Parts: sequence; C-alpha cells; structure tokens
Amino acid sequence: MTSVASAGGAGVIVITSSSPIWYITRATGLVSIVLLTGTMALGLLSAVRFDAATWPRYITGALHRNLSFVALVFLGLHIITAVADSYTPISLPDVVIPFISSYRPFWLGLGSIAFDLMIALIITSLVRTRLGYRSWRLVHWGVYLCWPVAVIHGLGIGTDTRTRWVLSLTCACVALVVGLIIWRLAQGWPSNAGVRAASALTLAIVLLVSGVWLANGPLQPGWAKRAGTPSPASVKGTP
Amino acid sequence: MSHILRVNPIRCDAHGVCADLLPELIELDPWGYPVIESDRMPDALLPHARRAVAACPTLALLLERERRRAGA
Amino acid sequence: MGKAGRHPVSGQREGDAVSRRPVPAPEQLPRLIPADGPLNFARHIDRYGPVPFRGYGDPRDWRRGVTDMLITTVERSGLTGRGGAGFPAGKKMRSVADRQGRRSGFFGSPAGSVVVANGVESEPASGKDAVLLNRAPHLVLDGIQLAAEAVGAPEAYLCVASEDERLTQRLAAAVSERERAGLNQVPVEVMPVYGSYVASEESALVNYLNEGPALPVFVPPRPFERGVRGRPTLVNNVETLAHIALIARYGPTWFAAIGTPDAPGSALVTIGGCVQRPGVYEIPLGMRMGDLIRLAGGLAERAQAILAGGYFGGWMALPDAMDAPVSGPALRKLGAGLGSGIIVVLPESACGLAETARVVRYLGTQSAGQCGPCVNGVPAIADVLEHITWKRADERSIRWASRLLPLVEGRGACHFPNGPVAMARSALRVFGGDLRYHQRHGPCPGVRHRPVLPVPQAARPPGEQETARGGGRPPVVLGTK
Repeated sequence: MTSVASAGGAGVIVITSSSPIWYITRATGLVSIVLLTGTMALGLLSAVRFDAATWPRYITGALHRNLSFVALVFLGLHIITAVADSYTPISLPDVVIPFISSYRPFWLGLGSIAFDLMIALIITSLVRTRLGYRSWRLVHWGVYLCWPVAVIHGLGIGTDTRTRWVLSLTCACVALVVGLIIWRLAQGWPSNAGVRAASALTLAIVLLVSGVWLANGPLQPGWAKRAGTPSPASVKGTP
Repeated sequence: MSHILRVNPIRCDAHGVCADLLPELIELDPWGYPVIESDRMPDALLPHARRAVAACPTLALLLERERRRAGA
Repeated sequence: MGKAGRHPVSGQREGDAVSRRPVPAPEQLPRLIPADGPLNFARHIDRYGPVPFRGYGDPRDWRRGVTDMLITTVERSGLTGRGGAGFPAGKKMRSVADRQGRRSGFFGSPAGSVVVANGVESEPASGKDAVLLNRAPHLVLDGIQLAAEAVGAPEAYLCVASEDERLTQRLAAAVSERERAGLNQVPVEVMPVYGSYVASEESALVNYLNEGPALPVFVPPRPFERGVRGRPTLVNNVETLAHIALIARYGPTWFAAIGTPDAPGSALVTIGGCVQRPGVYEIPLGMRMGDLIRLAGGLAERAQAILAGGYFGGWMALPDAMDAPVSGPALRKLGAGLGSGIIVVLPESACGLAETARVVRYLGTQSAGQCGPCVNGVPAIADVLEHITWKRADERSIRWASRLLPLVEGRGACHFPNGPVAMARSALRVFGGDLRYHQRHGPCPGVRHRPVLPVPQAARPPGEQETARGGGRPPVVLGTK
C-alpha cells in the first residue's frame, strides 16, 4: 500500500509499508513535545513562585520532575521506533550525533541536539545534591535551548506539520511557554534589567524568525524534498 | 547518630517549599524565610527532611550529621 | 637550619635569650603605642631588637613543620583576639597550625597556611587600628612574621581600608624596608580593601583575597580550615598581632601581669562621646570605667549612659556603669561587651533611642544583602525604632520590636545582624524611662540633639567599589598613664 506523505507534493512519493512503526514515531514525537512543554511550563511556574490554595509550592517541583521522566519514556519510544523503522535511514549514531544522518540531516540533527541536552539535564538533576548548586544551574539553563530546538525539530522533520490540528497543538505549546517566559521576565523587574531586556529581545527575534521560516518552509509544498528527504532510490540503498 | 537541619541563608531565596514539606520543624518568618524550630531531628522525620532538602529549588536546606563543635 | 647553628634570618642561636633589650616593667603603659611619636624602622629595631624567631624552621619551606613554642607561649599568655570576637589567640593559631600541610581541595597539592592581618577597621566609631598602624607598624609586621612562622605560612597579607592611600603606601614602604634588612621571613602583601562595614568580617576578607567580593560567605568551613585559596588561614586583628610581637619578646608572664585573669594584658580602646579628650587610649584590661573616663579628661557634660562594644555591643546605664570593669567578659556579663574596644559616653541632653535608631538605620544600609532575615530584618528594626522615637511609642510597636529581634538574631550567614539586635535590645532595656516618656508625651527634646554616635552620611551599600566612610571618627589623641 502506498500513501503520499502529507508534506510531499509532486516531487517525492514516500512509500510506506503497512508497518505501524512510522506512525508510532510520529505520534510519540508529538506527545513528547507536549510533555516537554508541560515540563518546561512547570519549571517556569516554579521560577515565578506560583502558589495557590489548591496548588502548594512543592507540587510544582515534584510534578516537574515526574513529568520529565514520562517525557523521557515517550522520547525513548520515539527514538527507538525511528531507528527500528527499516524505512527511514536513521541509525543509532544519528540519535546522539547531530547532522550525520542521510534523512533530513539538519532537522534530525536538531532532534539529536535536543536529546543530548535532555540527557544532560536529567542526569545532572538526578545527582543535583552531589553536583553542587552552581554547576547544576548552569546546565539547567540549557533547557532554553533544548525545548525550542525540539519544537523546531518537530516542525522541520515532521511529516504532519501542515495538518491543522498538529499546527494548532504546536502553537498552543509555544504560546504557553512563551507566555510563562514573559511572566518570568516581568516578575522582579527592574532587577537585572539588562539581562531581562536581552532575553526578551532574543525571545522576540526567535519567534519572528521561526514564524517566517514556518510560513516559507514546512507550510509550503515541496518541503519534504527541501528538508532533505532522500529519494526512494537512495533509500533502498541505505544501510 | 543525630542529624542537624540548617539553612544556608545566602543561598536561600524564600521559595518556602521546605516549610510546606516539613511544617513540624520549619516555619516562615514575615519575609518568607525559614525559621528552623529545633536543631535536633526526631528520626521519624528524617525521610521528610531528606525530601525537603531535595526539593529546595536552590539547595539551601542542609541536612548534616551532627559534628563536634570545632574551634573559632 | 636552626638546629645547631644560627637562625638564617635573625641570626639568633637556639637557646639565646629571646630579647637582649631590657624588659619594660609590666605595669608601664602604653605598651603598643610609643609615647614619643611614631616609630620608624630604625627606632623600632633600636627599641625592640630583631624579630625573635624561634628558629625551628623556615615557613617558606613549610614541610619542615610547625614551631610549637610560640603557640604554647601565646596560649599561656591568655591573649584574646582584639578584633571584636575575643577568641583565644593561641587556640586559633593552633587550629591553623594543626591543619597546615593538608591538601587544599580534592585536586590540590599539600600547601602551607596563610596569615591575614586585619586592619580594615570598618566600624565608624573605632580608631585604634589606624593609630596602631600609623604609630607602631613594625610591631604589627613583627607579629605577622612570628605568626607565619608559628602556623607554617609561606605568605601573609596585611589588609587596610583603601581610603587611606598614604597609610597603604607607608605600610608598603615599611614592608620593603624590612625585606631589604632581611627581617622578613615571609613576604607580606599590603592589600587595600574596598568595601563597607562587612568587608572586615573574617570570611569576607578571605573571600576578597580569593578574588571575590568583600562579602561574607557561609561558614563552615571557617577560614582556619579553608581560607585563602583553600588553605588554612589565620585571620587576626592587627592589635592582636602587635601583642604577639611583645609576648614573643617579653614572655607570657609579663603580658598577663596586668589585666584580669580572664582578660589579661592591655588593650587599645577608642573612647568618644561627651568626654573632654576623646581618642585612642591603651589601658590595662579590667580598668574601672570611671578611671578610663578620667583618663580621657573626665566628662564634658552630664552623661546618662555608655555604649560599650561599638555597634555590636550594648548600652549600660549610668551611674552604675562607672564601676564596670572594662574587659570583654565583664562587660558581656553586664549586657554589653568590649568588642573592638569602642566606648561612647552619651550625654543626658541626647536621646538614647534616637541614637540607636540612627545607628540601626545606618547598619541596615550596610548589610551585605545576601540573607533575607538580615536585609529585611535590620531595616525593619530601624523602622520600628524610628517609629517609637519620632512618632508614637505605642504598646503595639514595642511589642512588635520584641517579637522582631529574635527573628533577626543569628539568622544571617555572618554575625552582622546580631549587632543591631544587641544594640536595640539593650536600648529598650536601658532607656526604659525614655520609652515611657515617649509613650506619654511623644518625642523628647533629646531627639533633636546632634548625633553623638558617628554615622557616615553618604554611607554606600556594600558591593560598591569604594568605601564611603564619612566623618565621625574621633581625633587621634593618645593618652598615657
């Protein structure tokens, strides 16, 4: 059974088998993004010291931790199925080393970067008390790189980007995190005004650039080829 | 072996999570900083204390084995 | 080295009498500050002779081991620190000496200790360290060398307040002079310290020398365990080191011949307020307060109370305070303290509550700002004191003040917040009569008196690069017995 990949147009016809693995990869990828978003949101809530009668402080921290583990599980499934799927030429080294894959190398590479960062974040958090606060915090700033890279990876490599509900879901995730980041930057203003202003500016620029890229990239027909999807001929020959 | 609960006041940022998790020993002052009720820790509260130490966002809460007072 | 022959630097033979100069009578004062003007290098050597090293090892080669003799001597003398804490000096030296040679940190190699001489003196009402460093710098420098030999330190620092540039230069020149004469066993670096009230706190100084800000850090570990670059560090007030220099020459019995059993020796005090001749005096510890005031020319006007121990001490009511012995242990029993030797006499025409409120407000700006209970609590104490003094001394405010004090006490990383707490507590106790007057009639006329306790006008908070310690220091007038 053949099916046309949703992002494919006249250029490439992706032949899928009836294996459900590819669908699991896409599905777990989306769930991972949602869970990562939730984790990040809880981290930001902790930073802004969110506290309510029905939501005491320690819940935020505990939930943040537990949700990150759930996210890791789904991320693991996402990665394992992607590697196991005989169709796409994604191999094990591609998972941790970015940009060496033959399948949409750049966008997959972003995923590898996000995964590497996530492993670092989780390991340092597990040994936090032994590592020392300063080192742990330094690594944890990496979350501001990990999450957007993961989202862009999803948009750039995902074959579902042009679907309305996927797009809406992604936008909702972005809106949530961006909103919380703005809250965090605004709270405590004007202390560290320089850093806050620079961060806000960076946020705006990243959003703008991503939006422009999204509109001209994945949302346009022909993206699959431009993203570096290998043609069927080369796929067959890939180890 | 008895344990002592201490807070590093420089690292403490008044998040208040410790007071939520160990209300038997920790109260908050008018500015949100922890006041530790007693130096001694009943063994029954030890697991709760460990949890509070791990949950502190700035790792300011410390659980130490009691040591002999050194000079100076 | 030093075993069978002469000491490589001092030329002393082992077993020689420590000082060939005549030993001054123990009761003769002053001991530290020369009565006939500042001592330059030549006059210092003339009067005291060379540094009486023990000769049991060159501290630059710390592996040779520690010289125990001086530490035992200092312990037997009973000398306590003159920087405010009053910790036994010998015991402190021993704790550092015991740790020298340990590795500095996990990856560090074994290293010697460090000696830090604290002459920063950031309490506005204190002037004794400045006087000592101006008039008898070489006694302090002798003490540094002896302490370094005793604890096995291959290097030493002399920290002074940065605003007095001339003093910094003079001290650096004095160090060079001694180097050229071969009198320095270890190099001494004169460090001007930019900072504020807390900069002269022990851990803040060490932090500053570790290329950090002059702000206190969380202890333990204390400097004697891990200080400058992770090595055991001996931090002593300059006056303590000067005493060590004399004890090494004349012995512990001579030192303790004056003073009291629990506070032996002499000490420098800065006396201010309504006395005829405010200034820095050297007294035998345990001297009667009334005698000290007489030494300073007597009262200039009628007085109501005495602040003993500076802004970390407490108030004492007159006339009872006249009989108080001026020593740390005795004054502490009376609810005050000696601290770094600061005594201020409050005239009747002033208001003790107003003075306290002003000082606590100043101290609030001097908090390092690292700990919540301090940076919030001390200004809160100032708020309630100001309210009581200049607005209404109502029951609620007084009760809030008493609830507030234990919330601030002891909850900072350093002892800084304990100062304003102690001062406020003693004020509420000693000026109870004023309190009742304020309750009934509002502010008393004394609140309009010009400030007696020096509070720098343009006091800048810590962390800023320059210190701003304005006027208010008492003039440097030396008295002798």
